[in-house]
This record gives sequence, C-alpha cells and structure tokens, in this order.
Amino acid sequence: MSDVTLTIDGKTVTVPKGTKVVDAAKQVEVDIPVFCYHEKIGPLGCCRMCLVEVEKMPKLMTACTMDVAPDMVVKTVGDKVEKAQKGVLEFTLLNHPLDCPVCDKGGECPLQDNTFKYGPPDTRMEFHRANNVKAAPLSPVITIDRERCIACQRCTAYSERIEQDRGLVMLNRGFHNEVNTFNNEPYDNRFSGNVIDICPVGALTNTDFRFKARTWDLENHDTLCANCGCNCNITLGTRLNEFMRIEARPNDAVDDGWICDKGRWGHHFMESKNKITAARENSVGKTEPTSFPNFPINAPAEQAAEKVIEIFKNIAEEHGPESIGFLGSPYATNEEGYLYQKLFRLLGTNNIDHKSYQDTPGLPIRHFDVEEIENSNIVLLIACDPTEELPILDLRIKKAVSRCGTKLLSLNDQDTALDKYAELKVKYKVGSEASAVDALAEGLARELGESIDFSSDLGPTGISDEDMKSLVEAVRSSMKICVVYNPAALSGDTSLRVKRLLSVIARIPTIECGAIPAAPATNAVGAVDMGLLPDFYPGGVPVSDSEKVKELWGENAPTKPGLSASEMIAKAKSGDLKALWIHRSNPVVDFPGGEQVVEALKNLDLLVVHDMLETETTQLAKIVLPSNGPGFDEGTTTNIGGRVQARRKALEANSIDDWKLIQVMLKKLGDESSYSRVAKVLNEISQKVPGYQEINSRFVGKQGCNREQVAGEEVSPGNVESAASSNGKLQLRVATYLFAHDKILDASSKLAYHFKPSSAFLNESDAGKIGVSNGDRVSISGNGTEMEAEVTIDNRCMEGGVVVPRISDEQGVNGLGNPDGSPAWVDIKKA
Amino acid sequence: MQEYKFTEEQEKEISRILAKYPVKTSALLPLLTLVQRADRVVSPEAMVAISKKLDVSPAYVQSVMSFYTMYHTEKVGKYMILFCINISCQLNGCDKLLEHTARKLNIKVGETTSDEKFTLHREECLAACTEAPMMRVNDTYYGNLTEQRIDQILESLD
Amino acid sequence: MTQILFKDINKEGLHTMKVYEGLGGYQSLKKAFAQKPEEIVEAVKASGLRGRGGAGFPTGLKWSFLAKDVFPRYLCCNADESEPGTCKDRELLLKNPHLLIEGMILCSYACRIETGYIYFRGEFQDLSFIMDKALDEARAKGYLGKNILGSGFDLDIHTHLGAGAYICGEESALLNSLEGGRGEPRMKPPFPAVEGLYSKPTVINNVETLCAVPYIVSEGADKYAALGTEKSKGTKLVSVSGHVKKPGNYEIEMGTPTSELIYNLAGGIQNDNKLKAFIPGGSSVPMLPADKVDTPYDYESLAEAGTMLGSGALIVIDDSINIVEATLRLISFYMHESCGKCTPCREGTRWLHQIVERIMQNKGQLEYITRLEDICDNMAFKTFCPLADACVAPVVSSIKYFRADYEEYFKNVPAGAAS
Ligand SMILES: Cc1cc2nc3c(=O)[nH]c(=O)nc-3n(C[C@H](O)[C@H](O)[C@H](O)COP(=O)(O)O)c2cc1C
Ligand code: SF4
Ligand code: FES
Repeated sequence: MSDVTLTIDGKTVTVPKGTKVVDAAKQVEVDIPVFCYHEKIGPLGCCRMCLVEVEKMPKLMTACTMDVAPDMVVKTVGDKVEKAQKGVLEFTLLNHPLDCPVCDKGGECPLQDNTFKYGPPDTRMEFHRANNVKAAPLSPVITIDRERCIACQRCTAYSERIEQDRGLVMLNRGFHNEVNTFNNEPYDNRFSGNVIDICPVGALTNTDFRFKARTWDLENHDTLCANCGCNCNITLGTRLNEFMRIEARPNDAVDDGWICDKGRWGHHFMESKNKITAARENSVGKTEPTSFPNFPINAPAEQAAEKVIEIFKNIAEEHGPESIGFLGSPYATNEEGYLYQKLFRLLGTNNIDHKSYQDTPGLPIRHFDVEEIENSNIVLLIACDPTEELPILDLRIKKAVSRCGTKLLSLNDQDTALDKYAELKVKYKVGSEASAVDALAEGLARELGESIDFSSDLGPTGISDEDMKSLVEAVRSSMKICVVYNPAALSGDTSLRVKRLLSVIARIPTIECGAIPAAPATNAVGAVDMGLLPDFYPGGVPVSDSEKVKELWGENAPTKPGLSASEMIAKAKSGDLKALWIHRSNPVVDFPGGEQVVEALKNLDLLVVHDMLETETTQLAKIVLPSNGPGFDEGTTTNIGGRVQARRKALEANSIDDWKLIQVMLKKLGDESSYSRVAKVLNEISQKVPGYQEINSRFVGKQGCNREQVAGEEVSPGNVESAASSNGKLQLRVATYLFAHDKILDASSKLAYHFKPSSAFLNESDAGKIGVSNGDRVSISGNGTEMEAEVTIDNRCMEGGVVVPRISDEQGVNGLGNPDGSPAWVDIKKA
Repeated sequence: MQEYKFTEEQEKEISRILAKYPVKTSALLPLLTLVQRADRVVSPEAMVAISKKLDVSPAYVQSVMSFYTMYHTEKVGKYMILFCINISCQLNGCDKLLEHTARKLNIKVGETTSDEKFTLHREECLAACTEAPMMRVNDTYYGNLTEQRIDQILESLD
Repeated sequence: MTQILFKDINKEGLHTMKVYEGLGGYQSLKKAFAQKPEEIVEAVKASGLRGRGGAGFPTGLKWSFLAKDVFPRYLCCNADESEPGTCKDRELLLKNPHLLIEGMILCSYACRIETGYIYFRGEFQDLSFIMDKALDEARAKGYLGKNILGSGFDLDIHTHLGAGAYICGEESALLNSLEGGRGEPRMKPPFPAVEGLYSKPTVINNVETLCAVPYIVSEGADKYAALGTEKSKGTKLVSVSGHVKKPGNYEIEMGTPTSELIYNLAGGIQNDNKLKAFIPGGSSVPMLPADKVDTPYDYESLAEAGTMLGSGALIVIDDSINIVEATLRLISFYMHESCGKCTPCREGTRWLHQIVERIMQNKGQLEYITRLEDICDNMAFKTFCPLADACVAPVVSSIKYFRADYEEYFKNVPAGAAS
C-alpha cells in the first residue's frame, strides 16, 4: 500500500495509507488521548476525547476516525484543542463516581490519566450524579460497575467485531444506555475476559482480583500462557510471591492482543492442593519399598534424582539401553525437553517420545507464523477445532475472514464452531482421514498433471465427488494458502499423508503456501523440535543419519531407532521395558488404552514420574519428583507458528527448577556441560539444534522470534489399511473441550461453571438404529472399558461415528481407545 | 424459557417481510413491530424467536429493540395513547390537556389503566404540528384537541 | 402563488391511482424514459432543487456523487419526519402518495437504482398502509416491476417502518435502522453515495425533495428554476405552527417574506397577541426575534439573519410565554432523542436540561447563563452527528435574544441561594 506523508505538531511522519491520525501520531511520539479507540477493534468515534485541529477543516476532528491524507497538517495542542479536551473530560466525568480510592482500576486507569493530563481543574457539576448499579456480576468471573461506565462502547464493539458472538451489547438509548447481555444472562464465552483489559475505566473488573491488591503494589512478570500451543503473551501480576492476576500482553505475531478465559482464569493449579512439593518413594509396583537401599526419602529432590538416575544407569547396563525409556512432555519448556533427551541419549537409548500419535519434525513447506493467516487468501483447516483446541487461533481466523478477505475451508470429521465462517466445509467419516487427505492430494496432483497414484478412495470417507472437486479447485486456485492441521487428531500415519499433501501443494507454481501444525499441547512443536522422538534427534536430525548424529552428539550417541510411546507401553506390558521415566505427562488418562496403560506401568521395575501435580500416573510411580510448572518455571517454548518465546518465572518455588534437576543428573552421568542460567541451555540449543541457530535469549526478547525451518524428511506413508468391519459398532472421535474438568481446571477453579456433563454426539440414523433419543443416557464400551454419556443427536459427525468430547479426567473416554492408537470402535447401548 | 410460537398468519407475514430485503437482519424492526402489535409487548421469548429467524444473537435483538421507544417490555393497553408535548403542542396548551387526560383515565402519565384498556404516554413531536394540540391513539391521529374532544374520543373507543 | 406539490392537494381521492392519473400523474415517466439517465440528473442539477430534509444540499449534485459502476444501488426516501414543528411530509404522504412514487421512479431511473425503500417513522403506520396500497396500484399499472413501460428499467419500492427514534431521520442512522440495527449515526466518510445501505451506493432524499422531481421532468428545469430566488429555487412547503390563527402547511415561492407566511397565510397571531419570536426551520435552528419577521424565506436570507431554513417548519411564539419555557421543552426533546453514542451529546443535553430546569425553579445563579453558553460551546461541532448542534441552537439563540427572559427567574433570588 502506498504511503502518506503528513505533519503532526510540526513533526513530519510517513505512514501507510489508511492509517488513522491517532496511530500516525504515536509514531512521532505525539500523544493523542483516547477512550473509545482501540487499535485492534477499530474506530468508534464515541468518546470525542481525541479531537484535534486539522488545517483547512472548520471543525475539530476526531483523530481516531480520520484517515491520514497527503500534506495534512494536524495540531494536537493549542487553545481550541485544549478547551475541547477539557470540555469532553468534563462531560465524561459529569456522572462518573468519585470512587477512585476503592476502584480496582486505580493506578492504571486511562480516565484518571487523561484527566490528570488534559482535564479541567475542578468540576462545575452541582447536581446529584446519576446512580446506577454498582458491582454486579456480569458473569461468574467479571464484575460490572455501571456507575463507572463511560459508555465508550469498547467492550460491546469487542463483542461484535472480535469475539463476534454479540453477547455483550448496548441496551437502551441516550443517557440510559448501558452495557448488558440478553435478559441479564451471564456474559459467557471463551474470550469474555478481554473486556476487562480494554475497559478504560473500572467498569469491568476481574472478580477474582477485586480488592486483592492495588495495581501499583503488583510485581508484573512478562511471561507466556501455558494452556495451549498458541503461547499467548501474558503479564502475570504477583504480590509478596503470591499470584494476583493475569492480563493480556499484546503480541501481534501470537495473540493479537487477546487471551482466552482459560488463559486468564485457568491458573488455580498453581496453588493446587495436589502440587507435588517434594521427592517421595511410593510402595507400589513389583519392587519392595526396600529395593532401593538408602533411597533418600524426604531429602532434597536433587539427591533423590541423583540416586534414581544411577539406578536407571544400572538397569541400562544390566538389561541393555533398550530396557529403559523416557516419556517427555509437550507442556515442558524447550530447555527441559532438550536436556532430558540429552540425558537419556547419554544413557544410550532412543526410547524417547512425548505423545500418543504419530508426528515427525519439519514441514515440506514453510512453517507459517500465526500472523500469516491474515495475509493468506485461503486457510484450510484439517481435523482442527481451534475454538476448543487453540482458542486464540479461533479469533485470528474470524478476524481474517471478516476483515482481511480470507476464505476458510475446512476438512474435518466433525462440525465445529468455526464452520459458520467457512466458505466450504467438507466432512469425512470418523476414522477415514487418511483417505480424505489422500484424495485431496491426488486431486491436486492430477491438476498438476502428475501421474501420481495414492490409490485414494473416496468410498470410505462419505465425501461426494463434487465436494472433493470443489475443495481441490478452491485449494488449486488459491494465491496464498495456509494449511492448519492438528496432528493429534489424526489417526495412524495420516499426519505423514498431510505432509505429502503439503508437498503436492508446494509444487503448484501459482501458490504461495505454508502450514501450521496445530497440536493443542503447549509446546508440542518444541517437543518435536527438541527431539523428544524415538527416531529423530533435535532439529529433525534422523537417528539413522549416523554421521550427523556423531558429529553433533558424539561417538557413543545411539543411532538405532527407539520405541514410540505406545511401543514403550506395549514393551512395559511384555516386560521388555524395565524402567520408564515420565516427565509432566499423565498417560493413564491422556493416552488411549486406559486400564491397559495402568497394567503396563504397574509391570515396570521402576517408574519415575517428574510432575507438578499428583495424577493417576504419579500414583503408580515408585519415585515421584517435584516439577515446578508454569508460573514457577522458566525457559522457552515454541508455539504452533514456530515462534520461540520466553516463559518467565513469576513466582519462587520451593523445589529445584526442572532444568537444574536434569543438570544434576547429567553431571552424575559424567556430562561436563554446566549451565549457570537457563539462558545457557538455550545457548547450547542454538548450537546443537538445526533451525535454532538464531535463537538466543536476547533475540527472543519480549515478543519472541521465529526459529528457522526445521528440516523434514521426504515422507512416504504406506497404503491405507482398509477399515475393520464395524459389526454395528461406531468409530470413536474424541473431541477437545476447552474447559475440561482436569488437573489444570479442578473444582476450585473460577471456570468450574463451564464444566459439562459427558455427552455423546450421534448421527440421526445411528441414533435411530441404537434406539436412543436426545437426552437418553447411554453406556459406551470399547477396549474392555465402559463409560456413560448423555445423547445429543445433531449430526456433528457422519453415520458410523460418534463424537465424545473429553470433558474431564474422570470420564475415561481415552480408555475406550487402543493403546497402540489404532481406530477405536465402540458399542453404544441405552443405559 | 418457553418457546415462542408465531401463528401461521404471522409466519406468512414474516415471509412477506423477509422478501423485501436482500439481508435478513433488515427484517428485525418489522418483526418486532409484528410482535408488539399482536402481543402489546415484546417478551424475552419473542426476542429469542426473532433472533433465531434472523440468525443474530438474542442480545442483539434486545439491544436494537431497547433503542426504540415503540417497543415495550411491559404490556401496554389495548389503546396506546401517545400525547404530543413538543413545542407546537406546548404553545397550544397540551400540558393541561395531558393532565386532563390522565385525570380522566385515573392514571399517571406512563401508566396503564387497571383494565388494560389505555396506556398514556407523553410523546415527542408526532409530525402533526399544524393540528396542535394532538395525540395518536394506536394508528389514528387526533388533532385540534380540547377537553371535550378528548372526552368524546376516549368514550368512543371500546 | 405557484403551487407545485400542493396543486391538487385537497382533491377528493387524490391518493388513488385513478384520480392521480386523471390529473396527469405519471406522465413524466414516458418523458424520462425517452432520455438518458444522466440527462435527468443534469436537469435536476439545472433546476437548482436542494434537499428539503434540512441540509439543503443540491439534489442533482448528490445524485452525481454515486460511486461509479458499483451495483446494486439503493434509494431511500426519508419519511422519518420528526423534527418538531415539521409536518409537511405527512400531508404529502397522506394525500398524495403517488407523487412520491413518481418522484422515486424518476430518481431511480436517473441513478440506475433497482430497489427503493421508504423509511417511515414508526408512528406513521397509517401512512405506510396508504403507501402500500398506492405501491400495489403502481405495480398493477406497470409503473413498478420489471421493464417499466417497456423501458427495460426495473424497479421495486418497499415501505419500511421505524419504531420511535428521531435520530433515524439522520441519513446514516436511517441506514443502520433499515439494516435492522440501532439507529446510531455512522462514521463519515464513507458517505452513503459511496457506501450506504448494505454498503452499496445509496441515494437518500427527503419526501418533499423527491416530490418536486416529477414537475422538473415534465415541465422542465428552467420552469422550476424560474421560481424562487437566485440561489434558492422553486417552491417550499412550510409548516406554520404555534401561536398562529390558521396553522397549516403552505407552499410558497422561495424568497417570500416570513411575515407573509405568519400574518397572511397563517392568519396572524392568536388572540392578536404580539409576536415575540419565531423559529423558521424546525426546532434545530436558532430562533429569531420579532424584528426579523420580514426576512425573506429562503436559504440565503435566513442564513444571513443567523438561522437556517432547515426542514421548513415555522414555529411562531407570541409574548404570552417566557422563552425559557419553550427552550427547556426543546432541550428535553434532544435529551430524549440523543442516541447516547457520543459523550458530549449524551451528557451535555442532560446537563443543559438540569441547569435550565434549576433556573426555572428560581434556584439558579446568574452565572448559569454564561455556563450554559460555555457548555453549548463545548458541545457544538464536537459531536458525532449534528443532533447536539441542534440542541445548542435554541439555547444559544434564546440567550442571545431573550436574556431578559432568563433574568426574570433570578429577580427574586437572593444572591448565593443556589443549592
Ligand atoms: C438529527 C437529524 C434528524 C434529521 N431528520 C430528518 C427527517 O426527519 N427527515 C428528513 O428528510 N431529513 C432529516 N434529516 C436530514 C437527513 O440527514 C438528510 O440530510 C436528508 O434526508 C437528505 O435528504 P434531502 O437532501 O432530500 O434533504 C435529519 C438530519 C439530522 C442530523
Ligand atoms: S464498560 Fe468500559 S469498555 Fe464498556 S462501555 Fe463502559 S467504559 Fe467502555
Ligand atoms: S478516541 Fe476518538 S472518539 Fe473516542
């Protein structure tokens, strides 16, 4: 876009066409006061605070609504403007209560600040100020003070333009207008908390934070949200080493200035009663309590860790390195992941993984940063439900579609909330993603004139020829496409097929393309990058590339592919795996297999779990070590867009930092590297991990930076296995529900009102066959496990499938799946 | 909340209304008017029903509805009297006549008679200034009011 | 005096197609369809017709501003008539709906518009029923619909009702309301001619403006332009109300002295009282004292006298009342009708009301008068739309010309008695 040059208070500034005067002024450090204007929401022109003088214009103009024009001359000072500012502030304050001393916004209130800077010295208001409702709940987490509201409409405009549910609106007219919801119902959606951040007065406040502290007493820590792979930027406020609140910390490349409600209020786990605070030995498993003589119970964690790692070493020596394994965490930092894989590879094993699905490092096309969604003319979602899985991505997509002209395509086995924004939605049958993805790839390859045969077959997918044709055409004719796929929702080797699809797209010369691997877990991308994989070293170096491996990791580095997580579980069951170390993961609940996983873990000689909260898995561990987790930990994570950012410590923990604990163990094994600070680990990552060369703590800074492309191998998935016959069973799709009642959102959480009962979403025809109707309770069984749910008939998936959202840890839906990750068939009966 | 049902006739009228506009939400005011005329009130249930017809949030419906003075959240009388009090009528003595009307109906301005027959509202200019003082009763304009004329009009309504 | 809009206004049955056609109605269409659309726009330009809704913007010029080559386009007829004192559109709509339809067809042809809406204020339900009948008649006659009179031009017109909000007369608020939203004004630019209804190029004209078009097309722009003054052409409907003996809507040639309207057409002041003040263009324009009563009734002369022609509503006030009473009533109107979107209007109208009310309770301080002026200055031209300016007009002008009326209320107040 072309640039425009203008003068503001005598300073010349050049900005892109379409910039508002108020934003242009910022560039030359001219401060124009505003209330209603918010860069991300767009102009409203309500508050009139931003009046400025513009040469040749008879009236004062609002700088927030006015586009810059060539040679425009703007004056933000002078008698005329100053009188107007005083006048506007006088009107604004006319009926605003004088309760600043008890207002949560005090100290960070734009109304206070603007009044101080531009306001009249006193008030001429001699009448009673209007009375209105004070401190009423707008929702269980937001309090509204209608007296303080200055009707700037930021919050309602946010509801209309950003979150787009239009739940928060202006009611009534004129002096009687008020911010409210329909029929006084709670303002309740996934992004409601942002209205607190944008309210320029103390009208909308965080119920959880009310009266806890004065804002100027807070210590603010710039850190990251750890609830999902978006890694939104947050400011975590503490006081006397106690948690106080979370606010959004705008970063255009990541969150665009917003966070979801889980990010804002899903933090109570930090103070959970179930926090693991010390090392301990449980009397479980095959070993007797005394089997580790001199195990230092209640000793500092580092002594315990030194001891256990020695035992691991002994087991590896005795039974061979294949007999030990490590299950890492997609929630931990890059530094922790990196050091842990180093530790276990030092022990000679590649039995390293962090997930229950297949995934490989690298992409055959560019790894797009999240921001690229706005610049793409097509976004293709594959097996994604951003609203539940990666909420801030949902806002970004809505923004792209409604304001940037982006078209949304969706290829999925279930309906999602974003469907209504989609130009084209193609639905395949649960479990048939391999064929669906292959068919798209093949269709595109054919368009390219390539004689490729992926022997794809639309039959099992339930997709019509026309729909697939339209999808192929929409992708083919795109100028810039961003493919967003969720590897965690793809069964078998479909994520490899997606990569094959991506390389086909990459070959279409007219398309600029990129992809975002959108697994929901906080640091899923980082975990892959850091080589928490059985067949790849960090940075996508295959274990089989022995030359490279030896060069980077030394002569003794193992080059034999290791076991994946599900294989380790199988080997634990068979007794071949003797010892397993789990870092911040709860496979008993989160992996498919349920009871079988429990049995396998019980069968180990030694299970060590290093975690922050007690889980079903820690209950099975012989040794439990304390991990600090978000809020207390520090390091970097890599978000779904490949952006590496710093997660900073906000609270001092009693236990040793995870990375320090791993360092103790590395030392014990004779490793000589020593890291005085966590940044030193990052230094080493930048030297050892291809793609991370440019990453160092200075560069990561406040807003993070993108790592280079991580190399990916050319992939060649096998043929699609034909589905087993169903025998009247339905194929299970476990869906994500953002506010699941789990270890993170426990019953004490402020978000507990979002908890839902277990439900099964059935297709009409299946419901008919089973003989159930809406609201019936059913029992769902599979893999020897059974659970209950309430039926909703809504065709969320096609015939032959059932969607069950994972709503709690107790529900046990993952138990219905097979531990090897193969498709889960379930029986549904009326309970 | 109970489900609000449109009558068959209303459904027909709704289709006719929708056909006037290329964009559905344009029918919002006409639908609210339809409900208000039939029910003499717009209930939350009706708002939900309208929101579903037009694919907007119920909050949006309420937001729009509450902006306009002709929709009511409390049921109004069979006869809605809008008594103009703006300048031309003021100059011609409407204040006294309004008082008279209220006294006659035995209610305060803004209220509804206990038999739900009349509601009396003060109204801003109704665009009949040359016939001031005037009032509107349901769809009918009555100008050049005097106390007697008001009495006659009220009595003629059953 | 030449009557254009009101020529047959009291003919029995004028609202029916039969009578209307019998008087030569719809004749202009054939003439128009024989010309290129641009020629009609040029004719309207040449006629000097200016918007009768309040702003007086040249109509032909407005039509020529439509974004080039963007379709569909819309026509919205502004029948929201809510400006206190104004009731001329009501009379036209009640008695002569076909004249408006004819005008709208001509405008639509000239501007290549295929859909028109008539936005009635909600209280005009009766008029919308009449209009719906007239539209049906016009459709039956083939004046509306596909390929009108074989011209290849299609048009349909629909009625739409508001629901009680003066601000919806402001053109962009009208569009929001017609789109099913709150009647809050929109940001400009973009102007409706570029992005109006459904973000498409849109013409918005007042009822009276559109009703003048058939005459211009059938009789010629020159004939229309020969009426009135140098810059204010043609005739104007004026609603004369208040303290006059014969209130009514009168069609005058532009430039007729105001005194002629008051003393001649409207029969003089009631009870033979003395004229005190008059508001020449609806409640939103400054009032003038009696000594300006000879001001010619046209855009320029009224502007020169410090007021505006506005919507053409002449409100006559005699010396039987204190001006402050009337002023408070008008402030109260704007306070009630402020949409509340912008702060100075929402807060300012209410504050003005509080202060004037206090004055009238004999509880004010003399300083309140300057304060009122200062508050008005803080509101005027600083709000989102002109509604606040309109509220300020009577306050400022009443203080300017009738300060003594304010001072009346302080006569018996001991200094510093305010609470
Ligand atoms: C507060 C306000 C109220 C208005 N009310 C009306 C109205 O009731 N009728 C009308 O025709 N124009 C009204 N207008 C003027 C319209 O905005 C617009 O200028 C007019 O409809 C254009 O038509 P015209 O060019 O034919 O006059 C109003 C303007 C404002 C600012
Ligand atoms: S609550 Fe806050 S953001 Fe919303 S309108 Fe009021 S002042 Fe503005
Ligand atoms: S910031 Fe410009 S009007 Fe509010």
